[in-house]
Amino acid sequence: MNTIRHGDAMLTDWRDTAARFQCEVGKAVVGQERAVRLVTIAIFARGHVLLEGDVGVGKTTLLRAVARALGGAYERVEGTVDMMPSDLIYHTYLADDGRPRVEPGPVLRKAEDLSVFFFNEINRARPQVHSLLLRLMAERSLTAFNREYHFPDLQVFADRNRVEREETFELPAAARDRFLMEIGMEAPRDAQARRDLVFDPRFHDTDALVEAIEASVIDHAAVSGIANAIQHSIKASPEIEAYVVALWEALVRPAEAGIRLPGVDMTALIKGGASPRGLAFLVRAARVRAWLEGREFLVPEDIRDVFPEVMAHRVFLEPVYEMRRETIVPGLIRAVFETVPAP
Amino acid sequence: MLRLAFLLLVLIALPDTLQAQVRSVEVRTPRPFGYFVGDLVRVQVDIVVDDGFAVQAASLPQPGPVTYWLDLRDIAIESTAQGDARRIRLNLTYQSFYAALDARALEIPGFALTVASERKDGVTTAKAQVPAWSINVSPLREVQPPPREDPTEYMRPDGRAAPMDMAPLLRWAGAFAALALLTLALLARDRAWIPFGKRRGRAFAGVQRSLRILARRPDQDAAYRESLIALHRGLDETDGRRVLADDLPAFLDRHPAYRPQQSGLAGFFTASRLAFFGRETSAARSQWSLRDAETVARDLAAAERTAGG
Repeated sequence: MNTIRHGDAMLTDWRDTAARFQCEVGKAVVGQERAVRLVTIAIFARGHVLLEGDVGVGKTTLLRAVARALGGAYERVEGTVDMMPSDLIYHTYLADDGRPRVEPGPVLRKAEDLSVFFFNEINRARPQVHSLLLRLMAERSLTAFNREYHFPDLQVFADRNRVEREETFELPAAARDRFLMEIGMEAPRDAQARRDLVFDPRFHDTDALVEAIEASVIDHAAVSGIANAIQHSIKASPEIEAYVVALWEALVRPAEAGIRLPGVDMTALIKGGASPRGLAFLVRAARVRAWLEGREFLVPEDIRDVFPEVMAHRVFLEPVYEMRRETIVPGLIRAVFETVPAP
Repeated sequence: MLRLAFLLLVLIALPDTLQAQVRSVEVRTPRPFGYFVGDLVRVQVDIVVDDGFAVQAASLPQPGPVTYWLDLRDIAIESTAQGDARRIRLNLTYQSFYAALDARALEIPGFALTVASERKDGVTTAKAQVPAWSINVSPLREVQPPPREDPTEYMRPDGRAAPMDMAPLLRWAGAFAALALLTLALLARDRAWIPFGKRRGRAFAGVQRSLRILARRPDQDAAYRESLIALHRGLDETDGRRVLADDLPAFLDRHPAYRPQQSGLAGFFTASRLAFFGRETSAARSQWSLRDAETVARDLAAAERTAGG
């Protein structure tokens, strides 16, 4: 006999599932607890994730592990300079009989069951490809073969290494804005984790490592529904609304909020960004964090915890400061949180 | 013949025995001069008599006027043994009413006292004569200088005291007043009283003050929320950044002086979360009341003074 589960109980069960998911992914990716946690938040917020970091810190391993634990269909493409949007959608080849054939490409191959689309080295792809991704990410739909394809459970994970700048294309602002989070990954600082990564043979064979993860910990088809339930059940008080708006204001107009950074003209620092969509994403992610923490309401810590990953890439600096972005933006965000009072 | 001889013997012996019954009379007078009208003169008369003799009360002078210028005010008698004799002491108090115009000697009359001894074979009496003696009385005011209309002119001016030098005393007073003011200023600075109310490093003193004001507000829910905000701002100011609930351990690491208040602060953050973000002010109040807030603020202010020096 089926028992009718109360909505709250369902959320509690899913919280346990989320914990198990993090635990499973953590088996393959050591010393990246924060990245794993943020990816979990992104999954339950139904947001796309861009991973950024040095070569060989485990970006791809993390994403493969996540894809396996999440279940559902999984596709992966590598960004290259000669890749065109049609390469993602169509697969063209000469068949055995010598006639050209056009078949669905990587995005369409699994059709509407696609749950994880993994774009490796996204900054090597041309802006045309980025534009295709815009629609795929924002609307989760695509037009091909004269019909619309919908991908209700799709999540795009992309990665980008920040070492090389040659033969790469900076993501357009509109595309970056569609990623829920940009997670920076670094090699773990913990000495034990570093030693394990280097000497434990288990971590040398990525395929075996990913295989060891329990598959489909999360029912990917149910994530949309649960994400909706989370967004509706976590309450936001007027104080937290005022807090988020004040943070937004301070981020966009730091000079007026009284924020000073050394060597920076605060009045001419911010060019734009921090869109309303960004703020909405921020609250979405914060609600998921509150749910993971077992709370029924948002607190400023939720906002603060996800803020750098959700907001940093949405802030566009004046060109003169853009080269120093990696020091200025974290400093600015820290100053914003040290300035805006809560409650 | 024999009878005649006995009588003769008695006659010869009698005065001798009479003499022997009162052995001595001694008058002890005070100074014999310098008396004015109304002055009391105290006299002591010692009469030594043979054992067994006592004063006959009727022979004692009675208090009352003695002469027109002299009254006997009081008479007291005491009798003590003195070897084989007895000493009778009279304490007499006279008062002179003689308004003298010049200095002169006046005689205080003497009197006779009868002492008696009762025996089986009869009563033996004897007389003790207290002699007169004299005192010199003086006029109350001088007569010789010419009379003055204003009696105060007779008064001599007061002796002049040496003028005191006030300057050192004033200097000391000034120095101590300055010291007191300085101490008060230091105390006010330490406690962050009014002129130092906004002093850096005394955030919780201000919080404590505003909580006291808020506690008197009629709307307790609003006052409670403002109290929580005041405490938040105190913590923010102390740390130089915004302190959220999750930052409490880090805050205590940075400011170990407040570590004893850890549980109070944890209660505060829980209540603040509930009141502001959980929208349950009354539940928060029942968990952690305004009184708790005042206690925590007071302890924090004390810790702040200890830490801040």
